[in-house]
Amino acid sequence: MLSDLLARLEEKDRLALARLLTLISRGEQLPEISSAIGTRNETTPVVAITGNAGVGKSTLVGKLAEYLRGEDKSVAILACDPESPLTGGALLGDRIRMPSRPDDAGLFIRSLAAASGHQAVAEHVDLMIRLLAKFGFDVILLETVGAGQGDTAVRELADVVVLLVQPESGDELQWEKAGLLEVADVVVVHKADLAGAEKTEGQVKELLSLPGSREIAVLRVSSRTGQGFEALWEAVMAAPRRGTTLDGRQLLRLAQQLLADRYRSRGAAAGPIIDRWKAHQLDESQAAEQLLDLLVR
Amino acid sequence: MNEQAPLRIVLAKVGLDGHDRGVKVVSRALRDAGFHVIYPGLWQAPEAVVRTVGDEDADWLGISLLSGTHLTLVPRIIDLLKAAGLDHVGVLVGGIIPEADIPKLHEMGVSRVFGPGTPMTDIITYLRSEGSRTHA
Repeated sequence: MLSDLLARLEEKDRLALARLLTLISRGEQLPEISSAIGTRNETTPVVAITGNAGVGKSTLVGKLAEYLRGEDKSVAILACDPESPLTGGALLGDRIRMPSRPDDAGLFIRSLAAASGHQAVAEHVDLMIRLLAKFGFDVILLETVGAGQGDTAVRELADVVVLLVQPESGDELQWEKAGLLEVADVVVVHKADLAGAEKTEGQVKELLSLPGSREIAVLRVSSRTGQGFEALWEAVMAAPRRGTTLDGRQLLRLAQQLLADRYRSRGAAAGPIIDRWKAHQLDESQAAEQLLDLLVR
Repeated sequence: MNEQAPLRIVLAKVGLDGHDRGVKVVSRALRDAGFHVIYPGLWQAPEAVVRTVGDEDADWLGISLLSGTHLTLVPRIIDLLKAAGLDHVGVLVGGIIPEADIPKLHEMGVSRVFGPGTPMTDIITYLRSEGSRTHA
């Protein structure tokens, strides 16, 4: 079954690609898929688009994809929306704001549900990115859930992180608080057709020019008027790539995911440990150690 | 590995039909029941719906029609699904469908038709009992 899918993937079969993404999102056959895909093709840029809810991430991703199609670059989009922590359900509505090009083989859009606590992107996104790069897309766009503070996992997944802010979104101290500016490689003042865009651009530039800051491009983009997309793509391409260094963190992340999957599949065996912890016979760290032993065995 | 992976369902409004209250209510009810609902918005072309179903690897497609065009658009979508190799995807229809047309839709390959006033639990129970033919 998997070997059949992988063979079809080689023949650029979109349905095989879609099915493999489903397997990955469910945490199924990850080691087999991972070794079949191999390491990531480093020439394919992976660009993450992040920012708070309502700032226009889906819209910008859609317009950027159209711009790139105009440049004859094929584009794959992974669009994350939140999954309910209570029911596991999700309403994935990012496609509404993205281009509908049913006959265009050069555009692929996949909606993903991101569980809460997963740092604004769905699980196993790194493997999905490798799969899409192997399929041959020229550019991969990753739209985060965009919950804001502390959602910094995208930094390790993407080569370039584009942070969207919008006019009139709080005084200048908000930018300092958010902790997001330090994640960004490019800052976009989106909705630049609205009043106040220049002021916001000025505030962000001022913050970023404080001593000790990295060089970060700040530019105004409007999805409504189409202003700024060429400049945005130039800035993205000019930003130093961050994803190219392999280090232990990638392995750690994979190990964490494997543990989470094992917990889901063998969670019942952990019942006695949990019961003893609840009854205060084990403290939290002892219980966690025992759980780890159980899952690693 | 993951036994309870949520069913993925694409809900679609096709053609010149701006009445999306119903599809939004169903979207929310399915989300709250633990489904992953993909809603690509109003005025979709049949080709765009089929592309979405394929790229999203959906288990189900729910088509909402209140424009009286069900006997034109539904067979078109079902033909396109077959041509795209997506005939394993279950098709539901919701909206204003005259009683007499329901058997015709079934004959075309629609699994169920849910009209106005359908309790949400009917749809949820049906989908849960059918499960997924995509990921059997």
